[in-house]
Formats: sequence, C-alpha cells, structure tokens
Amino acid sequence: MKITLAMRGTMKKKYGAEERVLELPEGSTCHDALMSLGIDYRDNRTLGFVSVNSLRVDIHTELHDGDYMKAFSKVYGG
Amino acid sequence: MKERYIRNIGTISEKEQQMLFAARVCVAGCGGLGGGVIENLARMGVGHITAIDGDVFDETNLNRQVLANCDNIGHAKSVEAGLQMKSINPDVEVVSIQAMLDSDNAADLIRGHDLVVDALDNVSARLALEDACEEENLTLIHGAIEAWCGEVAVVRPGSRLLHDIYEGWEASETKPSNSSFTPAVASAIEAAEAVKVLLGREVREGAIMTFDLLGWDFEVVDF
Repeated sequence: MKITLAMRGTMKKKYGAEERVLELPEGSTCHDALMSLGIDYRDNRTLGFVSVNSLRVDIHTELHDGDYMKAFSKVYGG
Repeated sequence: MKERYIRNIGTISEKEQQMLFAARVCVAGCGGLGGGVIENLARMGVGHITAIDGDVFDETNLNRQVLANCDNIGHAKSVEAGLQMKSINPDVEVVSIQAMLDSDNAADLIRGHDLVVDALDNVSARLALEDACEEENLTLIHGAIEAWCGEVAVVRPGSRLLHDIYEGWEASETKPSNSSFTPAVASAIEAAEAVKVLLGREVREGAIMTFDLLGWDFEVVDF
C-alpha cells in the first residue's frame, strides 16, 4: 500500500519538510511508517502526536492505502 | 455605550458587549502568550481578568512579551499586567496574583471564574490546570508556541485533551525558541476563542488548531 507522510512543526526542521509517499506492507502502522524512515520517535522529545486524515490517532494505529499521515512536534512554550 | 467600544460593535453585538463586561476570566501566565491574551481581552472589554504569574521580567523576555519593556525588568509580570491594563482600559478590573500555578493551588486560583486561559510555559503546570478545570467544571483555552509554530484548542471539562497531547512528556532543561510574532498569533487566537466561549458562540471542540508561520500551514486536527 501507499501512504503519504508529512512532518509538522519542528519535526520538519529535524526530518525534512517534503511530503513523502511511502510504500509499506499491508498492516503497517504509524509507528512503522516513521521507523521506515529511520525516525525513532521514542529516542527524542520532538514528536507530539500523529494524525491520519486529520484525525489524531495512536502511534500504533494501522494505516490503509491512500492515508495521509502527519507527525506533529511537541509544542509547550508560552 | 462608551466610545471606546464602538468599533467592537459589528464583531459582537451591544448585548454581547454587556456580556463581556460581566465576564470573569483567569489567565494563567503573563509572558508571551499571557501578555497578548490579557491585552486583547482588556481591549475587548472583558470586565474582570485575574492575571497569574510568579515570575519577573528579564531581558530575554524583551523580544516577544508585549508587557515587557526596558523599564520593568525585574518587576513582577502579574503586577505589570494590572498596571498596564489600567492605562489601556481602566474599566477592567485586573487582579494580579504572584504565584506559580501547580497542582496544589490551581483549583483555588481558578475558582469563581467563567473561563480559564492557558498561557503557561511548561507541561506540568498545564496538566495541573487541566485537572483543576475539570474539578471546577470550567472551560480552558489552551495555547502553546515554539519557534514558528503554535497551537490553540478549546478544552471542555472531561475532554483530557492536554493529557492526550502531552502523554509521556519528559521535561526538557532547554527553553524553546520563541519569536515575537508566534505568541502574537497564538494569543490573538486564544483571545478570540475566549470571547466566543464567553458569548456562547459556536466553537470547534474536540480539536486542535495548529499553525506553522514558516510553512504557512494552518490546520485542524480532530481528537
């Protein structure tokens, strides 16, 4: 299946601003999509949350062909 | 109707202006976000604002915090908020509270208000504020910023949106970069949402608005 992945906020600076079309095995999750690019979100404090088709989802949510996933950075300043 | 409010009419009605006069808003934080929120609410004519902040202005605040200036370095932010709003709109009662909001005092600080605004700069205080708003059954307007990016949300009691966003948060010792324009945008949106909630206007709930001024990304994510 093919999905589109985009970074948001400071994730863009760290991992690139361009939209990526990823070819992933069926059953892949948001976690798998990030890991396929070598983005181990567990090792940093940058990732806030992910969305699929503009809905916030758990990182282990299964993706489907045509999904548009976004990875948002943590924002906490004031 | 005082002349100072005439240009509000059209954006809001005269009846709604009266509703704002009667409103009591608690703003937690008087820094980059809080200064903008407090000024916006005071200019709109919100009758009572409680301004909470335990910090004083320092030189690093001058790039972005609208209440900071060269003459008030070392002065308490919450007190300055009250003093400066007197010259902007003396109709508004501003109560300044010099305190750092935390889980021990949050509920007491927000009690008796109609609405609470999150203009804080750290996650633990935000989570304490969300808990307290739930306890006091108060709506919270959330805002946060970093560099070119920001987010705003209307958090109704029970939604746990902040706990969801910041789940697994680990405190960082580094302070985020913040520009002059990002808090201006976020605080203006927070103030607009605050006014809408106070007036009972329709608001987008269960969602967060995020923006990135560098990439011109303004988007809404449903939770």
